[in-house]
Amino acid sequence: MKSFQIRSKIVNGVAVLYLKGHLDAHQVGRFEKEIVRLIRDSNFKILINGQELNYITSAGMGIIMGYIDEVREKGGDIKLCSLVERVYETFDLVGFTEIYDFVADEQVAIEKFSQIPTQS
Amino acid sequence: MSRWPLKNSAKFQPSPDFSITILSQTQLLKMVVELTRHIAALFNFSVPEAQKISLAIDEAVTNVIKHSYGNNSGQLITIEYFLALGGIKIRIFYRGLPPQIMDADVNISKMIKNKKKGGLGVKLMKTIMDSVSYKTIGGKNCCEMIKWQKSI
Repeated sequence: MKSFQIRSKIVNGVAVLYLKGHLDAHQVGRFEKEIVRLIRDSNFKILINGQELNYITSAGMGIIMGYIDEVREKGGDIKLCSLVERVYETFDLVGFTEIYDFVADEQVAIEKFSQIPTQS
Repeated sequence: MSRWPLKNSAKFQPSPDFSITILSQTQLLKMVVELTRHIAALFNFSVPEAQKISLAIDEAVTNVIKHSYGNNSGQLITIEYFLALGGIKIRIFYRGLPPQIMDADVNISKMIKNKKKGGLGVKLMKTIMDSVSYKTIGGKNCCEMIKWQKSI
């Protein structure tokens, strides 16, 4: 069984990425590939659901940081939801929680995205 | 009463209590993380503290693999664990390029603006551990990190 799994689906115009398992420098390439694919396909509203993510390092956080500007410039955002406490704490240690939108629940996060007009 | 009652009196032995040498391969990071977590927990660090210590080691070893060895997977990294009452010291030995350490505090907003991804790992290491230092020992590069228990 793979230690890190990723899948995505579009919900109300929001690309929801479901991360599962252990996201470290060894696995980060798959995460970046998926983010790049979404942006290439003009999905600029990206929600990372971390309900089943139990570990993240700076490698994974660096990907979010590396693409946030591009996504926001195109009228979208990268939000995070449903993180387990341990993973949220890792984001908090480097100050991400002050810059990014962390939401407790996926549905609420999707509703927040609906407040952003979709770019044509 | 001091929150760190043994911080100044605890002494680490000159020889490590445990050491492991691994190849510079990112697929081995998870094993290093699990090992470090177990060792820290064995020495009475709480589960959250042990998890954070293992994250700091993950970041340090990742830096060595990526920056010092340029992702060359055939190099060696030795991790030494020194245990004392109230604390743990971990030394990571490697050859290759010495790290470029940013002393300035990491500013996330600035990094986003400059599209820079580096520096987050060192920020994590310095936030989690009580001491992070880089030195040369016996002709090898060494990253030394120390963590003291919050309560004993």
